[in-house]
Amino acid sequence: MGWKLSALWTSGMLLSTSIAAMAHHSFAMFDQENPIELTGTVQEFKYTSPHSYILLAVMGQDGTTVIWNLEGQAPSLLARDGWTSQTLKPGDEIIITIHPLQSGAPGGAWNVIRAKFKDGRPIGGNR
Amino acid sequence: MRYRSSMASLALALCITTASANAFDESKYPDWTGQWRLGPPAKWDPTKPPGRGQQAPLTAEYHAIFEANLADQAAGGQGTDPTYTCIPDGMPRAMNVVFPMEIVILPKTTYIMIEYLSMLRRIYTDGRDWPKGQEPSFMGYSIGNWIDEGGTGQYNLLEVETRNMKGPRAFDPSGIPLHSDNQTIVKERIYLDKANSDILHDEITTIDNALTRPWTVTKNYRRDRNPIWIESICTEANPHIRLGKENYMLSADGYLMPAKKNQQPPDLRYFSQSQK
Repeated sequence: MGWKLSALWTSGMLLSTSIAAMAHHSFAMFDQENPIELTGTVQEFKYTSPHSYILLAVMGQDGTTVIWNLEGQAPSLLARDGWTSQTLKPGDEIIITIHPLQSGAPGGAWNVIRAKFKDGRPIGGNR
Repeated sequence: MRYRSSMASLALALCITTASANAFDESKYPDWTGQWRLGPPAKWDPTKPPGRGQQAPLTAEYHAIFEANLADQAAGGQGTDPTYTCIPDGMPRAMNVVFPMEIVILPKTTYIMIEYLSMLRRIYTDGRDWPKGQEPSFMGYSIGNWIDEGGTGQYNLLEVETRNMKGPRAFDPSGIPLHSDNQTIVKERIYLDKANSDILHDEITTIDNALTRPWTVTKNYRRDRNPIWIESICTEANPHIRLGKENYMLSADGYLMPAKKNQQPPDLRYFSQSQK
């Protein structure tokens, strides 16, 4: 599909631990060995159970935009990281490292540790 | 006249309730108030690595089921872990307490309210026997006994036995299975740490026909006295679905996405083929 993605091999182990920590279900559908970085525009932030979701518009190298469905921690855990339902708004530009679906479809899993605004500001109360 | 009669009934009911409440000697029971957290990662034995590292004492038949589950999960499936469709954990998995729990002690019943999936346990401590003809449930039917261990003058140990569960259930997200006959018996010993009253121990022994022997693990929950409580309604936004024997994920725009590499679309036999 030609997404402008950068594989982050070195951080794979740290992220694997973080994703496994969510644990509502098996996360084996997400490629935990090969995280990728996405830069895009938030279309919607769902502060919902059992997981939160960022719907992120990402432009590929061929100029087409695809909306990724990105699964994050539940509000129960996000709240303890300083996130609220207002932390992300439509139009926010973010950089986020995710574990993509093994199938190659535009879905994946993310963790607060690896999300920031495009200008480098941290999101919520994350580190 | 009818109104007066109703008011009198209500007043009488309140008097009875107040009398019952007064009869509850709170000082006899331990202080387990606040929020108890274990938190992720959710693995059954907290002292061992997840998956095969748990060394679950499975029978040969259920070891084979577990291995097939691991192979399916490695391919992007969910194996024998049923909770991705929002089926509750049930017992004993609920005590993984992925999100925090609150314990409310009343003289006849102790309630364990687990934020994750809004799971509720009722532990009857009124001396009742096992009921006959009770329909099974994911959380099972729990009978408890308060014990004053060491003769301190106050209850400090709650022993609980839980039966009559229904399935499907697994111990944790790695899919360690419980037997499909659902004859599981769970025995627990719940008590505060002697040195730190902000730690609650739960020694959990699971007896199940998928196991070669009773499997005992100990969960150690930490108390938060200024808790944040968050509603957890699993069906609110769960994009993981099961069709036939396959799991899929919904896309941002609500269409099916494959969860596994090279996964085939679901069987559409009941749709007119001319429908596009």
